[in-house]
Amino acid sequence: MNNNLSRRDLLRLVGLGAGAGALGLGGVAACAPSADGPTTDTAKSATDFSFASWSLADNASKAKIEELMRGYGGKAGVTVNGVPLAYNTYLNQLTLQVRGGQFTGAAQMDIAWLAGLAALGKLRDLGDVARDAGYTEAALSSGQVDGKQVGLPWTTAAIGLIANRELMQKAGVTTAPATIADFETALRALKSTGVIPYAASTKVAQLKDILIWMQTFGSPLLDGDKVTVGDDASVEAVAWYKKLYDEKLIAPDVERVDARTLFAQGKAAIYDDAIVGRDFVVKGSPDTSLADKLDPIARPVKNAGDKPRAVQWGHAVVVVEGEGANTASDFAGWLTSDEQTVLGYFKDLSLPPTTSKALASEQVRTDRFTAQFSERITATATPNPFWKYPQYAQMETAISEQVQAVLVGRAKPADAMRDAGRAVQALIT
Amino acid sequence: MSKRSARDSRGSRAAAWAAVAVLGGFGLLPVYWMLATALTPAQQTFRYPPSLIPTDLTLDNFANLADEPALARYLFNSIIVSVITAVLSVVVSAYMGYAFSKFRFRGRRSLMYFVLSSQMFPQALLLVTLYALFSAYRLLDTYTALVLSFTTFTLPLCVWMLKGFFDTIPDSLVEAARVDGASRLRTIHSVILPLSAPGLVAAGLFAFVRGWNDFIFALTLAGREKTTLPPGLVNAFLGEATAQWAELMAASLLASLPVVVAFIALQRFLVGGITAGAIKG
Repeated sequence: MNNNLSRRDLLRLVGLGAGAGALGLGGVAACAPSADGPTTDTAKSATDFSFASWSLADNASKAKIEELMRGYGGKAGVTVNGVPLAYNTYLNQLTLQVRGGQFTGAAQMDIAWLAGLAALGKLRDLGDVARDAGYTEAALSSGQVDGKQVGLPWTTAAIGLIANRELMQKAGVTTAPATIADFETALRALKSTGVIPYAASTKVAQLKDILIWMQTFGSPLLDGDKVTVGDDASVEAVAWYKKLYDEKLIAPDVERVDARTLFAQGKAAIYDDAIVGRDFVVKGSPDTSLADKLDPIARPVKNAGDKPRAVQWGHAVVVVEGEGANTASDFAGWLTSDEQTVLGYFKDLSLPPTTSKALASEQVRTDRFTAQFSERITATATPNPFWKYPQYAQMETAISEQVQAVLVGRAKPADAMRDAGRAVQALIT
Repeated sequence: MSKRSARDSRGSRAAAWAAVAVLGGFGLLPVYWMLATALTPAQQTFRYPPSLIPTDLTLDNFANLADEPALARYLFNSIIVSVITAVLSVVVSAYMGYAFSKFRFRGRRSLMYFVLSSQMFPQALLLVTLYALFSAYRLLDTYTALVLSFTTFTLPLCVWMLKGFFDTIPDSLVEAARVDGASRLRTIHSVILPLSAPGLVAAGLFAFVRGWNDFIFALTLAGREKTTLPPGLVNAFLGEATAQWAELMAASLLASLPVVVAFIALQRFLVGGITAGAIKG
């Protein structure tokens, strides 16, 4: 028997492949869940519900989350069924389950993901629950999409610059650099001591960090629905980043995990991180006193007197309409605003609360790192303007790829940012 | 042998060994790195610059796995779904392969290519379809969903692999069995399949490894109780801000042992089974 493929066989194969592909696509269409609206929970008394959370899958926080679920379950006389999902695949998995109608109840969310999940039309408006809970205005706004309170803020902070005070002092930098010019001077001084001065993100996966520098240089990124990436300020920011790269003030092939590692090992003096990264660098460091050397600093500004920029970071709790949603809403309120609960959460996981009362508590105020981080970074943080679009991840990738092209010398900043702006605009329109 | 040809022969052998060393290093370096990381204290996992040879060795990362009772469940689930996938794939593809090899019927070639065509579009495309399908039939979070989805991807290659193997068995053997009064099924079960053991083992191992290694389908279709090792390990050791690489490597090392043992036990069948039919004219 001859197993060789003739040209006719090949054509037949291609034809069948196309047919099978069409069948596959047809199957997707046929099997896709209906776009009908969600079923409203009509239960009058407390009922069991599910709680999806990546913290429930994370060894560092699992025990605490389980304790909280048991605590609420005991109080309300219900069972909270945990649904642990890994952080890196969380949004895809949850989206699939919500869209398919397999998941109802409460779910932990990164505030950057809210618009994407809200677009499915199955999230409950939690405005009534939020109204008298005492959240700060900034925290409340982090849980809103198009004016609707789709999430209750669980922890709200920002992503900012963290410095190693000892390495800074060793380089003769005794005060935090206030302007870009001061920052460059400090980085050059740090370089002379043999460390990586600033472990900035230079890999595509995390190059979205460049956006806050673009804003620092004066680009709004978005004006209404018009993308401004490609304007003079964004080009200037990328050209500046390239200058740091060429002078080896920032290092190639770095993303958040690498930066944390370099910082924890004392090989990098400054890096960008959210407040949640503190435990990782402290526990991963051979320096047992690193915690005392952590120094959150305000992002330098272009001109003295400008407001330092920082991008918001935080977790929210959303409620997916359907069975158990009423009790899940009550749980979300309790989890994020009950003073004893949120202070216990802060004590065990160092994640700052979101209510004015808890933030004013002695426990939070006397935590040096949190207090400094809040005062110097979180205070002026704003959300990433692209978060309001469900396709924001694609937008960030489009920009990151162009920035990396600049860093490796394949494109000029002006050309690259013009192309990036067009690519992002195409995703909006 | 002349001096020159002896020199050439030594040169060829040295080049061959060098090639083996390079390719072996290429294949084994990740395994070595996994072992080295598993034996490195967690505090030193992120040492920079990294060291190829660990300076301090520890078994703590293996001992710490005892604190993860869920790992035993993931292991059990992996064994169940991989073994069933392998058996199901071999059984179904043996009959299909035999039919394609020994029977002549209208549309045979087209059907063969149609079976293969399922490999021509991204698996992620099927994931959404299968998710909705299994959801409609309430099969999500079950072994059945995992086995059926894995088999979807193992069958085409197994069928082609076994068809190639059956092609190497002379038709005269089938005819002789018929002359002796054996039915078609008897011919398959008593004559063809025993002769095809290497091919069946190769196909079974392929299906087993495919089921063992799958991440995305297991992650999406299996619930908490039916999760297999790959997504289970990610859930257990990689978090939002933390990555327990040393323990993850220790667990991965242990997780790879069943596959290594299966390969060592069955390797003598493998080469013949995979290449059978490759030179059949």
